[in-house]
Amino acid sequence: MEQPNELIIAMQGGDEKAFSKLYTMYSEALHGIIYSIVLDEGVAEEVLQDVFIKIWDNSKSYSVEKGRFFTWILNIARNTAIDQTRSKAFKNSRKNLSTSNFVDILSSHENLNRKTNSIGIKKFVEKLKPACIQIIDLLYFKGFTQADAAKDLQLPLGTLKTRNRNCLRDLRTIVLG
Amino acid sequence: MNIEEIRTSGQLELYVTGSLPAEEVRELEQALAQYPELREDIEQLEATLIQLAEAATPPLPALVWTYILNAIRNVQKLDTQATTRTNWAAITGWAAAILCIAGIFWMLKETNELREDIRYTTTQNVILEEQVQTTETQLANTNELLDILRSKEYAAFTLPGNQAVAPQAYAKVYFNKKDQIAYIDARGLPPAPQDKVYQVWSLIMDPLTPRSVGLLEPSKEIEGGVYRFDNIPDPEAFGITLEPAGGSESPTLQQLYTLGTVAP
Repeated sequence: MEQPNELIIAMQGGDEKAFSKLYTMYSEALHGIIYSIVLDEGVAEEVLQDVFIKIWDNSKSYSVEKGRFFTWILNIARNTAIDQTRSKAFKNSRKNLSTSNFVDILSSHENLNRKTNSIGIKKFVEKLKPACIQIIDLLYFKGFTQADAAKDLQLPLGTLKTRNRNCLRDLRTIVLG
Repeated sequence: MNIEEIRTSGQLELYVTGSLPAEEVRELEQALAQYPELREDIEQLEATLIQLAEAATPPLPALVWTYILNAIRNVQKLDTQATTRTNWAAITGWAAAILCIAGIFWMLKETNELREDIRYTTTQNVILEEQVQTTETQLANTNELLDILRSKEYAAFTLPGNQAVAPQAYAKVYFNKKDQIAYIDARGLPPAPQDKVYQVWSLIMDPLTPRSVGLLEPSKEIEGGVYRFDNIPDPEAFGITLEPAGGSESPTLQQLYTLGTVAP
């Protein structure tokens, strides 16, 4: 998918229509990321609102010349969601919540997203090696740096990179066909 | 690093998920500028990850976008209008207070006017009550008079006008022979000029003897031009003359207005 640079530049100029199109393109992916962190639909919606308001307000701090737009908004989404989980109110309401990754979420979803091939993805990710699930969860859904992920998984950095690459290559084959 | 080394290094995957330290990002971006074909690799990785995350999303209500749109629009408005924004709440409050005070003054004025009205109406009522009383008294007097005049004790006769002095004049007499009471209705007489007064006479015809009965003056008036006189000895006729104020000893015949005989 080519990055919609024209829409991004229009949004940076204050174009609400362009912003609306970008929301349509990215809101579900960011919502999925946020939900995998906060694990509550209501909280996830609030965080998503905050994230898109931040994207609008800070749009000029991103440049299409440098870096990927998706990576930029992915960071905003993960950081906002993680901030939310550190808030006192959030901790109080969720003391005994077990940790959960994207595979658990996919498996437990009753209404799978119809826009994407959720059922196919679900079948595939359930067959992913536990090592892959862990790596993708930490690096993509939880926003760990490569160093933190290697430390958490007790893997040498090189091994982490290779495994991550192999896991994503397999995932790409299934998802994109 | 050549292009294959970059592809197999695992750096592109970490770049897309934002997991690389800033220094390695800078290095990779330099390499990307050098090998534009790597952009496709990155776009495919991105598409894969976006679909994976989309598969994990719960249903997303449309209201979320509405909320975002409202939020960014409010912020814009605050930026441009914060300093000139009118405090409608305060203005409304002051306007309400002023209206309230004006209303109180208006009501006080209305109350005073109503009090005035009541005072005036009360006075009018007193006047009207007096008029009603007067009218009732008049009515009672008239009724009484009518009762008397209609009773069989009273004989009625007319004193025709004197052709020489006042051909149109007349007077009516109601006479009670037994009690010697006479009522004179003087409506048929022209109004007496100033300093003059009508005088009533009773007459015996043979020999002609006039005797003053009295003056048509307010002290004798019963009601509406009807006068009452008492103690009249058996007369044969009645006459009315115009005399100087105070009356005369004997009638001035040149000023005889009416004359008539008592009916048998």
